[in-house]
Amino acid sequence: MSVEQYWNDMVTVALLGTDRREPPSPPAGGLADLAADAPQPTPSQRLLQQVAGCVVARRAGVQPGPVVATVAPPAADPRPVTPSSASGTWRRVVADWPVLEDEWLLAVVQRGRRLAPELVPPLLARHRADAVRHQRVLTAAGPLGDWMVAWSPRLACTAKHVPASGAAMHLPDLPIVPELLHLLSAAPAQVARTLTAGFSAAQFGTAHRAVLVNLLARLSPASLPAVGQALNRVDPSSPSIGLAFALSDLVHLRHHMLTELELA
Amino acid sequence: MSVVEGRWQVEQVFALAPKPSSLSAAQPLAVPGRWAGSGANAQAVWGRCTGSSAEPYECVVDHVAVAMRCSCPSRVLPCKHALALLLLWARGQVPHSEPPSFAAAWVAKRAAAVQPAVVPPAAPPSAAPIDAAAPGAGEQAAPVAAPPHSDDTTSRDDRVARMAAGLAELDRWLDDRVRTGLADPALARYATWDSLAARLIDAQVGGLANRVRRLAGVVGARSDWHQQVLAELGALHLLATAGRQMGSLPPGLSDSVAAAIGWQVRQADVLAGLPHTDHWVVMGRSDVREDRIEVRRIWLRGSTTQQWGMLLSFAAYGQQLDTSWAVGSSVHADLFRYPGALGLRVLAGRRHSDPLPAGLVVGCSIAHACHEIGEAVAAEPWVERLPLCVAAAPARVAGQWVLTDHTGSLPLVAGAVGIGALLACSEGAVVPVTVEWTPAGLVPLTVHLADRAVDLGPTADPSFLAAGG
Repeated sequence: MSVEQYWNDMVTVALLGTDRREPPSPPAGGLADLAADAPQPTPSQRLLQQVAGCVVARRAGVQPGPVVATVAPPAADPRPVTPSSASGTWRRVVADWPVLEDEWLLAVVQRGRRLAPELVPPLLARHRADAVRHQRVLTAAGPLGDWMVAWSPRLACTAKHVPASGAAMHLPDLPIVPELLHLLSAAPAQVARTLTAGFSAAQFGTAHRAVLVNLLARLSPASLPAVGQALNRVDPSSPSIGLAFALSDLVHLRHHMLTELELA
Repeated sequence: MSVVEGRWQVEQVFALAPKPSSLSAAQPLAVPGRWAGSGANAQAVWGRCTGSSAEPYECVVDHVAVAMRCSCPSRVLPCKHALALLLLWARGQVPHSEPPSFAAAWVAKRAAAVQPAVVPPAAPPSAAPIDAAAPGAGEQAAPVAAPPHSDDTTSRDDRVARMAAGLAELDRWLDDRVRTGLADPALARYATWDSLAARLIDAQVGGLANRVRRLAGVVGARSDWHQQVLAELGALHLLATAGRQMGSLPPGLSDSVAAAIGWQVRQADVLAGLPHTDHWVVMGRSDVREDRIEVRRIWLRGSTTQQWGMLLSFAAYGQQLDTSWAVGSSVHADLFRYPGALGLRVLAGRRHSDPLPAGLVVGCSIAHACHEIGEAVAAEPWVERLPLCVAAAPARVAGQWVLTDHTGSLPLVAGAVGIGALLACSEGAVVPVTVEWTPAGLVPLTVHLADRAVDLGPTADPSFLAAGG
């Protein structure tokens, strides 16, 4: 009897209980010697002793399984991979400012990069219910994305509708109030002045957070340094200082994520 | 973990808790708002805790000799107030100040009582076993470690007797299980396991209680759960038997048995040993929730010795895990090993330099990994996790992911979180991978790429931890 057969017999006895069935005798060799060295008075104690010995023998005597054929690699992707620090930035974006994630992925593609491989499974899984974003991830991932979906079908898109052509490469619009729309195309200095004036005059409060977040998430990247400085200069005694701090964090993260993805 | 100016680490406070529920009770009190007049000096930490009674409870803890007094009526030692005060202090939320009269008087009285005794250790103890209970006159004042010698011996004997009784009870329980059979519906009830675990905690064999609670989650989880449960019952029987024969075991094995059943070693004793100085490469990280605590294992490997070490970090709800050991970095540091046959667990001592990116990491073959597993299991048959670094490729066979090379293959744990990222990073090629061996298979922790290491290990629930943890 092999050790495997012996183990399976013991599992059967353990399932039924030693009140109903006697434990099997160990195969000749070390396990039988062990049982003979310390004979146990009851069937249950014999089974426990034999199980303990067999478990240790099987684990200590672990042997490699058969050699398995390796999987064929994905097609080569010549695009440079995103820098390793960008993986941490993406995690911060997702955790703190998910409004920036679409732009981050588009920036990866538009700057001619491909996703760091460790980000491909979590991004595919995260957006599998959204056809447009899933398509965007596949574009950013390159051949590795399709290869991963082939090996792990749970990463495939589950959305029913087919996205319109080019939708994945288009940054979705965010609702911005008409009074602030002109800032999207204004000069950086003017944007900074408008925001500073708004905070000084206490026009902006917590209730305006969503409006301002959308504005800053779509502002021209060239305006970000000036806007960040303006937000940092908001009077600390202002009742809106908390909002200014939060928006400053958004602006700095957006500026960082876009510059980080620039090719050297 | 380093000891900063005599202040304890949160982990040390956890180790002092007699049971997990004590920590749960202490957590809400471990906020500055619940304490008045709290302060600490080089000997003690004190404060008045506002509770349900009209008068606040006065609590003092001697953090050097590890003893405490609290005016609350609890007979649990240490009480939740003492644990909360220590947690507050460990987090740096207790100011340095002069002791008030109630604290000064108690410290002076203790000093007079222990005058002839051995001088207490300089470094704070950590996992001090709670050995004595001596409440009296509505207050408790109990040394829990480093007491006068005669008391120490008595309390140690008491504890050994309690542990022996607990081990005997565990073996009787195991006997009943195999007698009535694993098909018994009682096994599917969590209470069956939890009540045994509670009795094991009372018997101060908390290590076994943790294993029993983990086993409760295995029942019915997979189609082959009977095999897993039976194997673990065998390991528990082995520990219960070895625990009752510790005196006759070789020293290293005896230490391993003691650690596995829950006999804790004081940090001060570990730090008093010889340091192992090396450039330690942070090979992997693995977070696991155990009861109500997140446990982080950080696996280190010496560049010179190629020996492994494991740092542990603990966090209760709202606390942080140790983030100072970044996967893929190399740190020139002193490590101190806990005793044991494998001796994997270490404490960090002095760091001699800032972390640097680790150089090339080399993995062994699958066949060599099997050899390492065999040696480790032979040394510590109940071992549950081992670190390995293999050079292998992920591959799929019969619906299961494995790591394979020219010498063979080993299975990955089904559904392990890092398998997808391992596949993506390796693109199916052979790469150095750090894994944790468990009886259920390998858990991928890190892929070592040419230019960086990618951390794939299981991650703690961020909503459970404080920001930054």
